Amino acid sequence: MKHESVPIYWRNIPQYYRLVAKRCKKCGAVHFPPVVRCRCGSKELEDLELPKEGKLVEFTVLHQVGTDFLKQKPLVVGLVELSNGVRVVGQIVDAQVEKLAPGAKVEVVFRRVVADGKHGLVMYGYKFRPVGL
Amino acid sequence: MKDVYVVGGALHPAGRHYDKNIDDLAAAVLDKAIADAQADIEALFVASSTAELGNKQQLLGVYVLESLGLDKIPVFRIENGDGSGGAAVVAAYHALRAGEYNCVAVVGVDKPNDVLSNQQQDIYATTLDTHFERYFGFTPLSYAALMAKMYLKKYEYKYEDLARWAVLMHAHGAGNPYAYFRRPVKLEDAVNSEVVSEPLRLYDVGPLADGAAAAVLCNNKKKDGPRILSVTTSTNAVGFNARNEYDVLYSLEEAARSALKKAGITPRDIAAAEVHDSFSIFGALALEGLGIVKRGGALAALREGDLPVNLSGGFKARGNILGATGVYQVVELAWQLMGREFKRVEGNYGVVHSMGGVDRVSTVIVVGL
Repeated sequence: MKHESVPIYWRNIPQYYRLVAKRCKKCGAVHFPPVVRCRCGSKELEDLELPKEGKLVEFTVLHQVGTDFLKQKPLVVGLVELSNGVRVVGQIVDAQVEKLAPGAKVEVVFRRVVADGKHGLVMYGYKFRPVGL
Repeated sequence: MKDVYVVGGALHPAGRHYDKNIDDLAAAVLDKAIADAQADIEALFVASSTAELGNKQQLLGVYVLESLGLDKIPVFRIENGDGSGGAAVVAAYHALRAGEYNCVAVVGVDKPNDVLSNQQQDIYATTLDTHFERYFGFTPLSYAALMAKMYLKKYEYKYEDLARWAVLMHAHGAGNPYAYFRRPVKLEDAVNSEVVSEPLRLYDVGPLADGAAAAVLCNNKKKDGPRILSVTTSTNAVGFNARNEYDVLYSLEEAARSALKKAGITPRDIAAAEVHDSFSIFGALALEGLGIVKRGGALAALREGDLPVNLSGGFKARGNILGATGVYQVVELAWQLMGREFKRVEGNYGVVHSMGGVDRVSTVIVVGL
């Protein structure tokens, strides 16, 4: 969307750049995006950086996109299960779609997500790239 | 606690209404609904999903009242995304049950066509988690596609089985004078339509349309009209990435169980249902969530022939009027039970399912004669 917010982007950088989740000290549940209270009721949560490899659960190729993604369309987006079992959604990049299938190994890569016009913010974040395809 | 009746209603044909401002569109149907009810309203509940983001208007209710020369009436704006309509009816229902008011109006309005189609995608995507889903390019369509893909695989359906949803919706929509599309389509039209997010094609998507609907609800029966037997809103506060399963609408399951129990009916008593099929797969999952068919059985039931679901044409043929849709559904269902503007359904109970986002909040409203 035009005129993305600098503070919103800035405060989410730990997640966008390093996949920093919250782990419940009481029951061990991992929450991404982070939460302030675990479903077990505990508010004792610690930061946990998620692993950078996993496998594809499912994906789709999206042809109708918002204004930020017109130059990138179609977008391959999907659901990924990281090696510790935590699932994350994101874009799948550098993929030959015809070879992509559930179970494919993927790794986290750091990419540009949105460039807000010529003079606005350039915003970055995690995406997933197939390994060995 | 007082009983609540649907005493009056009005619908604006869904479409592209470039010539009307959002408040004027809402005012036109509200005026008709009040005239239909022959009652004075004491409060106005306004359902809209995107009045602020798309139409640049806050405090919509006041401007609707101003347009009609009404004054000193309390207004309440309800936003539950594309499930705003159902939620506004719930708020109005509780106020009437408590006896705070005797007659109130609910008006639902949205005008997605005031912005370009890619901007509509931007705005619709704000029903997702804006920081971790919308940010990366996800839209409701992309999640519907992922859920459809997993559902079709799990229950070994072919795409054609899902495409029958659009055919049924168009067949029903042909009989709705307020529908965006009032013509039947063939299965081959749906199957050969453009892929928008595989496996979903254009015909799996309820087209965004401008529109407004209004209902006047009273807690004394001034006029013929069905009774709202129960309402329940429930949520699914689990992110798409953390869902247990992808072939179920969790927010609907709880809302349906509770609303049917409160109304004292079973799924077998449902003569007509208006469900939130913003994407075909959600229509199938809603049939299962309401208990009308068993889990995984929706598309098999569709193969067997007609189902009394979305006699309005649903989101596919009536149109997806975002936050207004739930109000459309309630009026449509009331009229189907009464045999007004629609063919009279055979039975005395109907249900509305109004959902916000991708299975994030669902309202179920049970209406009975």
